[in-house]
Amino acid sequence: MAKHYDVIVVGAGNGGLVAAATTARAGLSTLLLERHNLPGGSASTFRRGRFEFEPSLHELCSVGNEENPSQIYTLFKDLGCEIDWQYEFKTFRAIMFGEDGFDVSMRAGVDAFCEDMERAVPGSAESVRAFFDLVRKNEEALAYVAAMKGNPNKLKMVLKHADFMRCASYSVEAIEEALGMPQRAREIMNTYWCYLGVPTDELNAMHYLSMVGSYVEDGAAMPKKRSHELSLALEKALLSAGGELWYNSEVVRFLYDEKGGCAGVVLSDGTELYAKEVISNVIPHNVYAMSPKECVPERELRLANSRELGITFVTVYLGLDCSKEELGVEDYTVFKMNCANPREQYDRRKEVGMYYVCNCLNVVIEDASPEGTCMLFFTIPMFGEDMPKDLKPEEYKKWKNEIARQYIEDYEKCMGLDIRSHIEEISVATPVTFAHYLGTPGGEIYGYQNSGWDSVIMRTQSQMKDFTVPHLTYCGGHSVRGDGYSSAYITGQDAALRVIKRLKGGIA
Amino acid sequence: MKKPSLKSLSIVEFLKQEPRREARIAAAPAAPMPPMESYVANRLCAALHPARQFVKVTEVIERGENVRSYRLVADPARGTESLAYFSAGQYLSVSLKVGNATLTRPYSISSSPKEALQGWYELTVKRAPHGLASNYILDNWAVGTEVEVSAPEGQFTYEPLRDAPTVVGIAGGSGITPFVSFAKAVADGDEDFNLELLYGCTHEKDILFRKELDEIAAKCPRVHVTYVLSADNAEDCEEGHLSAERIRAHAPEGEYSVFICGSQGLYRYLDTQLPLLGLRRKFIRRELFGEYRNPSADEGYVAPKEDTCRVTVLLRGETYTLTAPVEDTLLVSIEKQGIPAPAKCRSGECGWCRARLVSGEVYIPASVDGRKLADHDYGYIHPCCTFPLGDVVLEISAK
Repeated sequence: MAKHYDVIVVGAGNGGLVAAATTARAGLSTLLLERHNLPGGSASTFRRGRFEFEPSLHELCSVGNEENPSQIYTLFKDLGCEIDWQYEFKTFRAIMFGEDGFDVSMRAGVDAFCEDMERAVPGSAESVRAFFDLVRKNEEALAYVAAMKGNPNKLKMVLKHADFMRCASYSVEAIEEALGMPQRAREIMNTYWCYLGVPTDELNAMHYLSMVGSYVEDGAAMPKKRSHELSLALEKALLSAGGELWYNSEVVRFLYDEKGGCAGVVLSDGTELYAKEVISNVIPHNVYAMSPKECVPERELRLANSRELGITFVTVYLGLDCSKEELGVEDYTVFKMNCANPREQYDRRKEVGMYYVCNCLNVVIEDASPEGTCMLFFTIPMFGEDMPKDLKPEEYKKWKNEIARQYIEDYEKCMGLDIRSHIEEISVATPVTFAHYLGTPGGEIYGYQNSGWDSVIMRTQSQMKDFTVPHLTYCGGHSVRGDGYSSAYITGQDAALRVIKRLKGGIA
Repeated sequence: MKKPSLKSLSIVEFLKQEPRREARIAAAPAAPMPPMESYVANRLCAALHPARQFVKVTEVIERGENVRSYRLVADPARGTESLAYFSAGQYLSVSLKVGNATLTRPYSISSSPKEALQGWYELTVKRAPHGLASNYILDNWAVGTEVEVSAPEGQFTYEPLRDAPTVVGIAGGSGITPFVSFAKAVADGDEDFNLELLYGCTHEKDILFRKELDEIAAKCPRVHVTYVLSADNAEDCEEGHLSAERIRAHAPEGEYSVFICGSQGLYRYLDTQLPLLGLRRKFIRRELFGEYRNPSADEGYVAPKEDTCRVTVLLRGETYTLTAPVEDTLLVSIEKQGIPAPAKCRSGECGWCRARLVSGEVYIPASVDGRKLADHDYGYIHPCCTFPLGDVVLEISAK
């Protein structure tokens, strides 16, 4: 007999976990389906020898702490999740290698950040402070828009929140230029661009401001036992509220009712499952491929075809048989670049060492690996289309190992380190790996590119017009906010609240 | 100096955004999504990591007393067009139905990666005295037998950025199988290292793949094989054990990696020998330990009063109950009941069998506890190396 639920959530990634936990805790019968045998999607861990690696998280923004909780801290707390948060109060060290290069370390806290920037780029402090002032102004404007239930008074917006409207419609670079921020300060300020996957001459200023603002104001946070801890805490929130989570349960088809509304799903073994509401943590691209043609609105196909798939990465995980002190590493996050301009970094991304991140988790979590060892984690931006078109399965391992070798050597040279001789464990992930674990087209991680014309602002504003299939709600990296963990969690919460409202009439 | 301001930027721009986006969407085709195979990453993923592979036995080769190799080819009739490529040293998890039981077993691939491209894998199976799977395979598999196997799995592979340029391979008995693949891959130029193989057997007649190994060594100067017999003397063989002294005698000057595959007895013996060599940990690689047995022999194990316990298994909302001997792992008891449970390495390492312990006490030997840190806190276990100490309830995943 087919089973019926109030809510079926497809995909136990960050968005799906929060969505399912939220609907279950609202008293709705909830089934979360996951094709793999672990929760979290990107938010997981894997073990090699005596090391347990964090596969994707650099740091969470918008966390805060008990005294000053930000959105994510509150989200977890409200779901009854206890997370052992660890903090890092240096935002990053950015090193541009070469003649005209620089090497700066930026502390968190607006004052400290401005101080560090002034030291690196004399005369920049005022414009940098003005940049952070916009974060606050944007928050006030968004609070007003929310208070007006999305229908703000237009005149008031123009008179009181004009800067918000500018930030919402211009690129990061345009805003910085207007503020008169010196070129070098802009380059340092824009170091984080790859966390949103679009270079700053195209990236929406408000989006970037909210992320940088949060890292600088709250510092960065991460769970003590890596992101698997986050995923298990969310899973527990779901299960303890009576929800179910089925692993190794791949959805192969979406079912629709006679009115074209989503009615359920079919698993790979033929099991049919029905629900009043379906939340998809699966990217629309894949949902359309699993739906009857006549049930996919034409506009949704056009929207999907108008977009570019988002960024993905090659990531190199190293377990080293020396401590971070013996290795000579002091920083958690180091951005290494060969030129300072994000557009150039993006365009020339295939050049070895152009722009990448290297993290050492032991700097924040001393005992993240056994005594006398440490872990390094390289993140190298890539797009699915960057992969060699005719790469054969038998060439794949050599191809990825060669990338790893080149970047390890680049970092050794830049930092004066000996990494190679200490490698006790190594694992190299590529878009192929992400395609394997996430099932996304091209192995994308951040859904659709946050292009200038398709910014978070426009996506939010057009949400109801973009996705019109009744009883089907999307959440996750491909949803309105794009990018990383915090955004995916928030879209999961938003999706759940909308579903709860539809099923329970406004009680969340 | 004027105060930084955004006044130079027009706010009218805000109003232009939506029409611009709408125009962009309208101009895009209402075409279906490109197929997954059109993306390089997904195409490679499908080729390298299929969820399962359906194969057929095309040849059975006698390797020795109670040892046979099975050549497996893709079975397009059941949906497998070609075999996944692999790295020498990897294994396949074979799914079996033996009587009422549904179970899996990991077997190292004894053929080369190049041969997978040519269309076959070879698995080599030795009959174990009470081995449910090995006896079943040797008694039942024949040309034409249909088999389901996993994608190639396992971390017992050569990693050029990690390992030394020379590998001293230490094989015991049927633990030679991955080294046959390594030797072939080195000879084929698919792996770039020197293989100094020490192959230990009890008697000369127990040596497997001798002809193949000698042929490879004769034509490839990077592969060298020494047969070591513990209870026999024979021409071209050394007599004795796979001791630290012997390893040192065959190892090159400077750094070298040691790769080990054999019985649990061999691993325990080498635990006493390897420390004498003063190797860094990174240079010692051991293949999967295999199924953990006799927990009651462990120090610290407190035997429960009863010999059996009641196990309640939750799977996709269904409940199964069974009686399980406390000396068997939870996975074995679940499989004997015919409940299809996921499992691959069966050594505590890969986590494929990962299950949630809802209630009850269990024993997990520390040496094979491969769980993730947070799994300890949230009550997850690997049933393949977990023994019940009383009645337990656990939720498993579908196979």
